[in-house]
Amino acid sequence: MANKIIDQEYKFSDIIADPAIKERFAKVRKYFFLRESTYDMSNRCNLRCEGCYYYAGDKQFAEENLNTADWKQLMTGEKERGITFVVLAGAEAAYVPDLCKTCFDTIPLGCIATNGLIPIAKEIDYRIHLSVWGNDKTSLEIRKAKNMLVRQMENYQGDSRAIWVYTFTPVNIDEAREVTETLAANNHQITFNMFSAPVGYDGHLRHTPETLARTGAIMGELLAEFPDTVIFSPYNIVAHTHERGLHDLFSCSYPRMNPSTDIGLGRSFRQYRTDLKWDRAAACCVPDTDCDDCRHYAAGSAVVTARMYRHATNPLHFSAWLDYVDTYLAVWVKAYEKSANLCNELIEPPVHN
Amino acid sequence: MTIDTTDTTQTITRIAEIIINELKLEDVTPETFDSDLDLVDEVGIDSMDLATIALVIRDEFGIRIDEDDYPKLTTVRIIAEYISNKRTENE
Repeated sequence: MANKIIDQEYKFSDIIADPAIKERFAKVRKYFFLRESTYDMSNRCNLRCEGCYYYAGDKQFAEENLNTADWKQLMTGEKERGITFVVLAGAEAAYVPDLCKTCFDTIPLGCIATNGLIPIAKEIDYRIHLSVWGNDKTSLEIRKAKNMLVRQMENYQGDSRAIWVYTFTPVNIDEAREVTETLAANNHQITFNMFSAPVGYDGHLRHTPETLARTGAIMGELLAEFPDTVIFSPYNIVAHTHERGLHDLFSCSYPRMNPSTDIGLGRSFRQYRTDLKWDRAAACCVPDTDCDDCRHYAAGSAVVTARMYRHATNPLHFSAWLDYVDTYLAVWVKAYEKSANLCNELIEPPVHN
Repeated sequence: MTIDTTDTTQTITRIAEIIINELKLEDVTPETFDSDLDLVDEVGIDSMDLATIALVIRDEFGIRIDEDDYPKLTTVRIIAEYISNKRTENE
């Protein structure tokens, strides 16, 4: 990894004087209005994946509220307090299409995390994240589901809402190529996630320094070979495969790790459970994940993005940060087009003084 | 020590101008901007906009703003006082 010593002090105005940086900053800045919260939609799932964070901790025991009027009221309140982007997840949101539609009708920007085996109607026009944990042989072992990728592609063929999220574990690193090739051949998109251990997890899916390094290497190869298919950047690779986790590198800004309610995620983010209640002490995008091991793509999307100020010290770091934000927007916001990465070096994150 | 009120007023006006430009606020001028208005609660800006404003102010006034400090800069008057304190530290 490049670890350049940048001793020149730059003004922000000098950094954004570069036409490419200026254009990219203007592009991503239009989305600074996004303020997210996340919602567990159902406590049911058709799969039981090893290491699933939803079925860790207490949230799985929250009762389901299936009343669309209650969800309408919740969403209206969310909109009034400034939430502009919803993430519908756990356990499997596709079980409750009426609730998803109610959310969409009130807050039209958002994303649904699903395993993709139950199709979600196109009238719910959110970005759709389809989880993939290896090739179908490995999925059968880890998720106990047959032909997952084939069935996901059948359900979402030609659907511009869909992007596959490949979760790297120590046992599926070498399968990412096969999956990426298959998705590329079918004109789909893929982005990358890292298995992040739930609290107390001691299974074989927890990453080690060796598996982090191997994962980073294959991510780089696939990004270079499939630039139209892989939605990622070199700085994403650094942030998510670094031996230090996201919190250690960037100081997680979710309420669970951030007591401040002054501004940003610490002020506005909530993670609602299926009974429409939320707990500040547990509020983050992947509750019950071990914060020290968190390299989750959803966490990074918020945590790295929030650290703009820290990256605005020189053109290289700011370019890398812009690539990260451009990636995050392309992954999460439907119809947002990713641009070519500005920084193709693997650079160390800036040191927080 | 005497406080130069002219200098403070100019600083407040310039900060207001930066905020108006960065946020593209309408129906307000640097002279009419309420310097005690809470930028988060009353103007509705979020952390990314505040970070951008902090970067522009860092450039404009030639001061170092710690990452942990800028979220606290929530009114024009607080920003002006922060700038003044930083300048005093540097003297």
